[in-house]
Amino acid sequence: MSNTAITPPERADITRFFPVKTVMALRRNRFLSNSKMIGALLILAPLGLLILCAPLLPLQAPLQTNLMAMMQPPSLEHPFGTDRMGRDIFSRTLEGVKISLQVGLSVAALALVVGMLLGTLAGFFGGLIDRAIMVIVDIFMAFPSLLLAIGLIAVMGTGLVPVVMAIAIADIPRFIRLQRSLVLGLRTRAYIDAARTVHASQFWLMSRHIVPNSLAPMLVAASISAANAILVEASLSFLGLGIMPPAPSLGNLIREGQLYMEQAWWISTLPGVVILLIAISFHFLSDGMRQALDPRSRK
Amino acid sequence: MIHQGEITAPLLDVRNLRTEFATDGGTVRAVDDASFSIMPGERIAVVGESGSGKSAMAMSILRLLVYPGRVVAGDVLLEGTNIAQLSERQLNQLRGRSVGTVFQDPMSSLDPVMRISKQMTAPIMRNLGMNYKEAHAEAVEWLRKVGIPDPERRITAFPFEMSGGMRQRVMIAMALSCRPKLLIADEPTTALDVTIQAQIVEILKKLTSEANTAMMFITHDLGLVARLADKVAVMYAGRIVEFATVEEIFAAPCHPYTQSLLRTIPSPTALNTSRLPQIPGLPPDMKKAIQGCAFRERCRAATDICAREAPALTDRGASHVAACWQPEGLGSSPIDAQPDRALRRNDGPFRDRVIVEINNLNKHFVSSSFLSRTKRNVIRAVNGVSLRVRQGETLGIVGESGCGKSTLARLLLGLEKPSSGEIFTEGLTQMVFQDPASSFNPKMRIRSIIEEPLLVKRKGDWRTRQARVEELVKLVGLDEAHLDRFPGQLSGGQLQRIAVARALALEPSVVVADEPTSALDVSVRAQIINLLADLKQELGVAFVFISHDLLTVQYISDRIAVMYLGEVVEYGPADLVFNSPSHPYTKALIDAVPIPDPAREAKRASAVLKGELPSPLSEISGCTFATRCPLATEQCRTEKPKLRQHRKSREAACHYAK
Repeated sequence: MSNTAITPPERADITRFFPVKTVMALRRNRFLSNSKMIGALLILAPLGLLILCAPLLPLQAPLQTNLMAMMQPPSLEHPFGTDRMGRDIFSRTLEGVKISLQVGLSVAALALVVGMLLGTLAGFFGGLIDRAIMVIVDIFMAFPSLLLAIGLIAVMGTGLVPVVMAIAIADIPRFIRLQRSLVLGLRTRAYIDAARTVHASQFWLMSRHIVPNSLAPMLVAASISAANAILVEASLSFLGLGIMPPAPSLGNLIREGQLYMEQAWWISTLPGVVILLIAISFHFLSDGMRQALDPRSRK
Repeated sequence: MIHQGEITAPLLDVRNLRTEFATDGGTVRAVDDASFSIMPGERIAVVGESGSGKSAMAMSILRLLVYPGRVVAGDVLLEGTNIAQLSERQLNQLRGRSVGTVFQDPMSSLDPVMRISKQMTAPIMRNLGMNYKEAHAEAVEWLRKVGIPDPERRITAFPFEMSGGMRQRVMIAMALSCRPKLLIADEPTTALDVTIQAQIVEILKKLTSEANTAMMFITHDLGLVARLADKVAVMYAGRIVEFATVEEIFAAPCHPYTQSLLRTIPSPTALNTSRLPQIPGLPPDMKKAIQGCAFRERCRAATDICAREAPALTDRGASHVAACWQPEGLGSSPIDAQPDRALRRNDGPFRDRVIVEINNLNKHFVSSSFLSRTKRNVIRAVNGVSLRVRQGETLGIVGESGCGKSTLARLLLGLEKPSSGEIFTEGLTQMVFQDPASSFNPKMRIRSIIEEPLLVKRKGDWRTRQARVEELVKLVGLDEAHLDRFPGQLSGGQLQRIAVARALALEPSVVVADEPTSALDVSVRAQIINLLADLKQELGVAFVFISHDLLTVQYISDRIAVMYLGEVVEYGPADLVFNSPSHPYTKALIDAVPIPDPAREAKRASAVLKGELPSPLSEISGCTFATRCPLATEQCRTEKPKLRQHRKSREAACHYAK
């Protein structure tokens, strides 16, 4: 309220512009007004399309060397330039993005599924099950996640599957904690009691009531986890612990290029920019999802 | 305009106040063109349902509205000063010194990490210019005035060390300690039990009269209005629809909404033999612009003019205004078109078939302390309860919070396991919960919600289940269109109907309803009460109706059990228990209930039950009520009275029940 009596402002009759109130229409409106979600899609959709179409594009294969064209700056033929063995950085970057997305999505999916399962069990049953699960979770949480991932790779070896497993294992405890806290809040709701009075099974309560109602915040957490996993994979590959050369990944592309930073800046810089874009877009995605799924967070 | 001819200037003068909230769905005009004034020392009640704009009006007066709400027009004059023109600093001074405030929730209105002494002395020092020592003495004095025992010691307590009633006393002491000329209280007793409410009301009445403090209090409880107010403003859909002295409002209400509200309250005296009159429909959606009179769709007296044009407040007497086109409002016509069906009671010989039998039931919660596992605290939530429910009867269970009525309900439903004792039930027991918002999975459609019990029990195939769901939704007075909605798209009253439908899906023999109407608006309550009464008659279902609202329990129940600290202290036919209580606690409860009739309220003794509920942790050797009982003797303190039959069909746990 301002300091003087105010004349009534012009009132727009909002119902005139949005007469339809179906759930789908509301969701569509909310999605269209969600600029972060749209921003994320504007980055991720073209990238995805490029990866899918890569074999059809007139590009040099990612692993093919060309000793006639080494260390060439970006050009029409080689949009991101070439490296010291004459390989096309653009097609290698696309291959790296593919691996990044694979890692991000697999880690998120794995952590989501395992985290929801164990978190639900811990929160719903409590007692001994809860204590057993949470002791293990606490032990894992005591280590920094990158360090934990490095340790796990030391045990499991390098390559795509061990990298995904290592990052996921380092991430799962957080998902268990989140899901457990959500379940603790949900299990005292009256609708759970209502289902209990008709002797619904524990499985029924969890699958019908608990999991659907905890899914939204868990999905938001999963999208943050995907962004994190992409960065961790890049870090691991940069350290020479993730995807091993000659197979390209954004991390090892940067590692290869850093030796030639002065002669050929494009080898490291351009894949680095791409990592940045992907990480930002996943963070946008999680923010956008939070906005869309939780009406209270909207301003 | 209301106080024409009065000599003194009004303390507070509100003129054409309009407050709006910008929401996603559109602009909500929470307060529309409200004008009234308060004279020094006058107590004004603002009555209305949730969403009627009463709190928004109070907030606008204090300039405490937060985004997205804002005052868009009108003036608020406090002692002639327009508060809209004050700076934030001047306003802060005014809020403490001229206007005191008490809010509804005593749990969240005190700072949890600050001792009471600090919270109370700071405003006194600032507003009255005292030093700490004087302010401290002043604060102790105020705590004594609001009835806090041992104030010298209690002033050093943290808020969490006090009960809700105590905290609300502290709030009142704080609000009054700077000697404001106006006290604004927003539902000051809604969160409290009736006996505590009665104490608080007495304190407010006494202290404001002593200091000639004017008071504006917001409530939805018409009984409280009759007990406390000089004048009443009735609000509906953001507008003041009637403003008059308390006697006029109750004796000769002019607006159909006021008339309807008064008729929907169960009468405390007579045995209620016919169904409650109910206001049809729901309050209007405030997001939509309202054309004409906002109440017309629920009003039987509405004519063409009501749809075209909103009525202005017009004089109906010396100090009585109402906004209605009809000179008489509803007049003597009924408020809804429902047939006036007789409410069949199981009076005389009750049906004898006992379908629930509870024998010596105990539920003790044990909490071991952090440091030693051997020292244990035992809360006796339910302590030796024996009760019977007969087929097709309604058993009302009343008592204050913490008396164990909800635990008893959970035991009946099998949601808790008894510590000892037995429950025998014939057939299924189902439940209607208190809070309609958390009773339903928000991700499920109404159809699936009602279907769930059938699905769990694998009753019939898809087609028969759908038929049953449609039958149930009609049974509770809704239609198939509601089935495809989500819980968030229905109102509280509609949701409680859905809760009843879900509870009836498996044809239970008993439905336990735990405070089913307390989260609903006054105008919708009667609809749910009537629904339950009808269903009892049509289906022969027994109800266990748990509530702290004595008038409603007395209206709907065949028998009443009164609980105190986990024990049943009185049991018998509803009208007998209510009109001639045998146990002193029952009598105190009934005396504490505010009755919506100013004449009777004025005559009633202000004798209220002293003290608070003893801690459930304490072990009491004698009668649990002896600490608060006006009749307690040495025998009561040492010997525990058993629930015994002292008259035909009546039982009480008191040595002196005759």
